[in-house]
Amino acid sequence: MSWLPVACLLTPLLTAVAVFGSPRNRKLRGLLSIGGAVVLLLLAIWQLMRVSSAGALVVQPGGWKAPFGITLVADNLAAMLVLATAAIAVAITSFALHDIDEFRAEAGFDGFVHVVLTGVVGAFLTGDVFNLYVWFEVMLIGSFALMTLGAGKRQLDGAVKYIALNLVSTVLMLTAIGLLHGLAGTLNLADLHQVMAARENDSLALVVGALFLVAFGIKAAIFPVFSWLPASYHTVPITVSALFAALMTKVGIYALLRIGTLVFGMELASAASLMMALAVLTLLMGVAGALAETSLRRLAAWQVMISVGFLLLGVALGTPAGLAAALFYFVHGMLAKAALLLIIGLGERVGMAERLAESGGVAQLKPWLAAAYLFTALSLAGIPPTAGFWAKLAFVEAGLGADAGTAGTVLIVALVVASLLGLLPLMRIWNEAFCKPSPAGFAPAAPGQVPIHTPSASIFALVSLVGVSALIGIWPTLLHSLAEAAAVGISTPAEYVQVVLGIKPEAGS
Amino acid sequence: MTALLCLLIAVLTATSVWLMLSRSLVRFLFALVLVSNVANLVIFVGGGLEPLAPALVDTAQPDLVMANPLPQALVLTAIVIGFGLVAFMLVLALSSWKVFRTVDIDQMRFAEPEPDEATTSQLEEPRA
Amino acid sequence: MATDNVAQASHNPESKSSRTLGALLAWCMAIACAAVFAWGLTLIGTIAAGDALKVSVPWVPAFNVEFAFHIDGLALLFLLLVTGIGTLIGVYTGAYFRGDARLPRLILMLMAFTAAMLGVVLADDVVLLFIFWELTTVTSFLLVGFDREKASARRAALQALWITAAGGLLLLIGLLLLADVTDTRLLSEIIAAGTVDIGNPQAAWALALVLCGAFTKSAQMPFHFWLPGAMSAPTPVSAFLHSATMVKAGIYLLARVQPAFGEHDVWFYTLTCVGAVTAVWASMMALRQQDAKLMLAWTTVMALGILTLFLGSNERIAVLAAMTFLVVHAFYKCAMFLVIGNVDHGTGTRQLDRLGGLFKALPVTGTVALAAGFSMAGFPPFLGFIGKELKYEGALAIAEEPLLIAMAALAANAMMVAVALTLVRGVFFGGQVNSPRQPHEAPMGMWFPPLVLAVGGLVAGIFPEHLLGGLVQAATSGVLAKETEVKLALWHGVNLPLMMSVLTVILGVLLHVNRVRVHGLLDRLVATLPFTLDMGWDRFLHALDRVAAAVVKRIQTGRLGHYLMVTFVTVVVAGGAALATTQTWSAQSQQAALTPVVVTIVLLMMYAALVTAVSESRMLSIGALGLVGAGAALVYFWYGAIDVAITQLLVETLFVVLIAAVLSKLPRLSGDDHTNRRTRIWHGALAMCTGAVIGLATWLVATRSTDHAVARFYESASLPEAYGANVVNVILVDFRALDTLGEVAVVVTAALAVVAVLSRFNQKRDVENAGEGA
Repeated sequence: MSWLPVACLLTPLLTAVAVFGSPRNRKLRGLLSIGGAVVLLLLAIWQLMRVSSAGALVVQPGGWKAPFGITLVADNLAAMLVLATAAIAVAITSFALHDIDEFRAEAGFDGFVHVVLTGVVGAFLTGDVFNLYVWFEVMLIGSFALMTLGAGKRQLDGAVKYIALNLVSTVLMLTAIGLLHGLAGTLNLADLHQVMAARENDSLALVVGALFLVAFGIKAAIFPVFSWLPASYHTVPITVSALFAALMTKVGIYALLRIGTLVFGMELASAASLMMALAVLTLLMGVAGALAETSLRRLAAWQVMISVGFLLLGVALGTPAGLAAALFYFVHGMLAKAALLLIIGLGERVGMAERLAESGGVAQLKPWLAAAYLFTALSLAGIPPTAGFWAKLAFVEAGLGADAGTAGTVLIVALVVASLLGLLPLMRIWNEAFCKPSPAGFAPAAPGQVPIHTPSASIFALVSLVGVSALIGIWPTLLHSLAEAAAVGISTPAEYVQVVLGIKPEAGS
Repeated sequence: MTALLCLLIAVLTATSVWLMLSRSLVRFLFALVLVSNVANLVIFVGGGLEPLAPALVDTAQPDLVMANPLPQALVLTAIVIGFGLVAFMLVLALSSWKVFRTVDIDQMRFAEPEPDEATTSQLEEPRA
Repeated sequence: MATDNVAQASHNPESKSSRTLGALLAWCMAIACAAVFAWGLTLIGTIAAGDALKVSVPWVPAFNVEFAFHIDGLALLFLLLVTGIGTLIGVYTGAYFRGDARLPRLILMLMAFTAAMLGVVLADDVVLLFIFWELTTVTSFLLVGFDREKASARRAALQALWITAAGGLLLLIGLLLLADVTDTRLLSEIIAAGTVDIGNPQAAWALALVLCGAFTKSAQMPFHFWLPGAMSAPTPVSAFLHSATMVKAGIYLLARVQPAFGEHDVWFYTLTCVGAVTAVWASMMALRQQDAKLMLAWTTVMALGILTLFLGSNERIAVLAAMTFLVVHAFYKCAMFLVIGNVDHGTGTRQLDRLGGLFKALPVTGTVALAAGFSMAGFPPFLGFIGKELKYEGALAIAEEPLLIAMAALAANAMMVAVALTLVRGVFFGGQVNSPRQPHEAPMGMWFPPLVLAVGGLVAGIFPEHLLGGLVQAATSGVLAKETEVKLALWHGVNLPLMMSVLTVILGVLLHVNRVRVHGLLDRLVATLPFTLDMGWDRFLHALDRVAAAVVKRIQTGRLGHYLMVTFVTVVVAGGAALATTQTWSAQSQQAALTPVVVTIVLLMMYAALVTAVSESRMLSIGALGLVGAGAALVYFWYGAIDVAITQLLVETLFVVLIAAVLSKLPRLSGDDHTNRRTRIWHGALAMCTGAVIGLATWLVATRSTDHAVARFYESASLPEAYGANVVNVILVDFRALDTLGEVAVVVTAALAVVAVLSRFNQKRDVENAGEGA
């Protein structure tokens, strides 16, 4: 079964190759893309089942045992996130079928999507810090392509900001990796844990850790280095927005979590209050952005930042319950963010304009779209009976936990403030875009007139995202147990080390 | 020698940052090339410096101490990846010039135009 | 406030089927509610005998949440209230919205609400209670905003949602704290555990947060202002949610946790004060309304205040007064709302100054109004009289501050009498009608439900012990969590409460007679207020938006240069702070000696870099860049990295060629990009700091003695195990082949992306105009 992680990594890569190699036919390429995503989904389900039942899968491609070769590790966390990515991929590729124009498709849009997916899956699965950089780059170059394809003025401007700031982050990450390698002489994460845990009070580790924090902080859009996100997410086709909103920042958070707990465990613990401050600031900034925004898509971009803030709250709390809450939110956030953007994408055909003030009447034209939005918005606001509610409950319980201390109180206060203020912009969209009569004069089709048609692939994409989200709302046990197992996995690095290196760790933890 | 190379790294970094903070996309491009070199040099210098033989296994001289091969491999990968990224940035700069007719990044305000004075009051909801 | 937008059936083809569907659904709702109501009736005996019903099914073990339900007297009282009124509202709504295409939507929401409301009062698990609690909030939001084309309805819906959701969130935290303190998630066990010690800060917070939840939901001061706004909902919805049931969820909660907190002084004084102030203020506000429905809304706030007031005490008679008044209020207030609905339907207006003498045109509705009004004013033999007598009895029985409570109750009741007189006398008798429509009686479906309530109020007033005794006793026992004996009777003999009742009526009549002056006085009073809370809500939103916009404008400036600057500052601060903790700066390992060749190269590279920094010539810059690259290649070469050196040289050459080619199409470099002198200094300092951070970090790392075990393995295993003499190549293609795979992917993708971007320009020259909308 240990070929599963390799298969998960190669599927999107080969799909990308197949797309680029296929004739320039919109439909063919789209179907190839959806097919690849479905295969990835099946593999990811299989992989997660294996990991849940039989423990982490460790692959040493080429047969070089860790720490000499590059190790792929599918532990609970990685397997769960690969599955979430695959689910998003199926929805996004289906949605792309009718959202992406001929020109973009011919230029290889679907291929670039799978390049991004390759990078994301690789980043989740790799157990090697330099290899992580490589997959980051794969993801990045794919996203650059998606950002610039078909550039109008707005999109090009967003792309310049996105690319410039992400390149800075990349170079910083590479520098930090160079320093880390110089410091530890190894690149394998498990081995790095061994080496770094053996040091005591090493200020140099703090320096390298700080550079990693900034580098990943940019990727994850953490305050104050988040600006690329609201500057660019609203300028691309909605499919790309949804893909990015669901995946990009999450990979940054994942890297922060993985490297933070495995390599810089002590440094991360000592910086807990700093992390909490960053989490709160990110959250408040996201809320402020959403409150101040009058443009629909940019409001959605700020929503992404709010979810980054929530994730970081749990990470900063650092208790197993806090991490479990964050990981539950992680998956919920991916689904909800993608759904939110797809809803906006569909809404734009029936009365949503760029500005909220110019939007309206969507609920009258597409009641089901309104229902999907209401559900998603309530989920994002954490109001039952949605997946978001359970995430919020998990956060509150983690904050009340005996091991949480003052940080727990900070978490709860931040959660309350952000949830309540965050509810206003979400409901403003509801009032302005869905309920208000359309100022642009969209109206239900008169008899004999063809109503505005929504393609079934797009509906499938939306329904699958909202459906999974709803299932989690009704029965959160499965996701929660996965999140809990993953949280236990990252809060006890010794287990990870043992699976990868096959030895009991000597020092510390 | 290490000290001097570290100074070089510092100077190159400072130059890149200076260039990036200038408002020209062209200078940003220059900075990118420089800063890629910085990262590679950091990997290389961080991996330990010895004016040693290349990392070629020579069966005739089994005792030969060779230069640390791992940073070299990493730098090689990084150079190639960096090339890909810079090349892309180059094309982006070209497109920006063609579309915006400017390379002044402060004048590129299309994605986030100056907010109107009446941001939120444009919402139609009644306000007291 | 305009009238409900009813019965403007749109004439599209769907509407006929949706009309039938709506009627069908309305009947479904009525029948389902009636069935549950009937079932609830059969339970009275059992539960009055002291047996509670319990069911529990596991749901989410991960969060320790169960489908645990618990029916005791209090829950049963609410169950009967919700389903009983739900039945009537189902019938009424079907008639009220006859022919309206929106009826199915409305009924579905009402059904969802009914289910959620039942969940609130039956849930035993605290999280389950919260889930249903929030569901009532959400359905209320949708119902208040039902008339979604109206801006006022949307505003009111958002306001109601936000305030109740805020309270809800605090309630959740409070309930979880309470569960922590009592070590159980089940309300029945929390109640059974008795008084909670609020000396424990957790318990004190639990109390405060639970009160926030209850007060927001039940519209207590200062959170009351959403309720009048919620009158944007269609009248049957207002009657059901915002008078008889949902707003009483907070009252239910207060009653529910009474055994845990009721003994504490802080509980007594908070509830008493908040309740009294709410009741008195709301009845004053009710007196000055012009819109009959708004008048009723304010009297609902007053009733909720009275209920809160009495739940402050754990005196048996006070709780009994609260429970009885709960039922009494539901009867007359719901009937009154439906009466106003009929008036609105029959005349097209609810403005009191346009209504009058309607009894002739709406005889049945008028009769109902008379009965409900008498009950509201507390005249015998209506149920309202018993409610009022018990209130006075309860007030006088409370050990602390009986006078204050009695005075508050008296004042509120007197104003209630005046309101009842205004609504009945002013609308149905005397005065002139001046309505948009010719007044006409409502159809049977609309007068039958309120008639049932009015007759019920009369019959229950005459035979209180037979009809309500068991239920109210069970509820009182449920609240106090102990067996309690109560007896309801219409006539208690001549005693102090009766005197007070007489006084109430006299005062009420006086107020009504002098209504014009009272009105003027109240208007002047309101005019002196700096602002109302309802206006405060708009100011709050506006201020929030303004602050947010100001913050965002400063941080998200839209300028890439600013974003880059922030990024580098972050690097300097983070890296610098970490570096500041360094203890030893000296080298810890042997360093390579200075070599003249390399020193020369490095100095040249530095010089070239500085040239790039200041050069205004494109070609000079490119040349300098090439020099830096070539220098780096030489450094690699000198330290034994031949492959790296060759690659570096190749790539650098390519760069120079490419950049030179592209640059010829770009504009010249302008002289000074760093705006002004201050910026130049600041940017220069920032650049140097960043350089220092990276340089120092590298120095510290490079001078450490590091065990390069992995590299040694590569050296030793390269030839024997991987069959390659060039260790670097072997690492790339074998040991770390996955890196190379990714690297190839990056380069190929970059090439494809470059082609894609360039092809855009070749295909479409008019790119500046195209794709703008995309």
